[in-house]
Amino acid sequence: MTAATRKTRPDRPPDSADETVVEGMLRDEILSIAADISRMKQEIGRLRPGEIRQSHIPEAGRELDAIVEATESATHQIMEQAEAIMEADAVDADAYRAAVQAAAMGIFEACSFQDITGQRIGKVVETLHLIERRVSRFIDELETHDLIDATAAIPEEPETEDARRKRELIVNGPQSDGEGIDQDDIDAFFGECSAQSDIDKLFD
Amino acid sequence: MAVDTSMPILVVDDYKTMIRIIRNLLKQLGFSDVDDASDGTEALSKMRSRRYGLVISDWNMEPMTGYELLRHVRADGGLGRTPFIMVTAESKTENVIAAKKAGVNNYIVKPFNAQTLKGKIDAVFSA
Repeated sequence: MTAATRKTRPDRPPDSADETVVEGMLRDEILSIAADISRMKQEIGRLRPGEIRQSHIPEAGRELDAIVEATESATHQIMEQAEAIMEADAVDADAYRAAVQAAAMGIFEACSFQDITGQRIGKVVETLHLIERRVSRFIDELETHDLIDATAAIPEEPETEDARRKRELIVNGPQSDGEGIDQDDIDAFFGECSAQSDIDKLFD
Repeated sequence: MAVDTSMPILVVDDYKTMIRIIRNLLKQLGFSDVDDASDGTEALSKMRSRRYGLVISDWNMEPMTGYELLRHVRADGGLGRTPFIMVTAESKTENVIAAKKAGVNNYIVKPFNAQTLKGKIDAVFSA
């Protein structure tokens, strides 16, 4: 008789004391494996993989795309200004000087991409740190903890000091195209909504 | 009203590149007395030792942000009336509203050009 057959007929007495011991050990092992699986499910839940996949990773991807676009745009702008200098007619000294100055200003304006891409890279690094923290915690939990109640609610991740500060001081970082408010809208806001009552209307 | 191009201006940004860019744009616009600070704390310290005609500040800096600097300046009896322009990549509506409520005089979204900077400086001093 196989163990599987006996499992389907639990009322049947064991054939020997040895088999009883083996069955007990097997049952304990299976229970242990079941507990480990439950614990892993719990810990995987705490990783919040859905949130990482649906929110953090796509957002990091958008930031990297924006960085590529910004650096490409700045490179073109700088090269165009350099070409303008190369093509400027030096016969008229005043006109030449003005053309070179205008091109130099254009180069300076283009270089502002470095600030914005730096902030975007900072947001991507934050995402990597978040994933690193969660994976490290996952590994620590698997290594150090015994059985965790699989039915317990998955606790909210505590807000870090850095995250709290950013929330309170409204630090969002650069917005992607189409997401933030543009300069024209800001100009209209400052031009048309100078009274506190107008500002208050924005909260209604 | 013509803007006094001899007034001292304080540029606050944690990116040296950005400070250099704004310095050169201001120089091109005729402003020669430009000082700089790398965050709000340093800016506040400089403002308490020298009277500036205009502050141009980034938002996202550590340890003191431009938003905190603005609130400190507006709460300070001696500095409270200093014209303040926020030049920042922070372009969410909530940022603009918060800055406006805190008393900012104008708000420029990065990236920007010399004409935009000139327009906002003119607007601040003609208001």
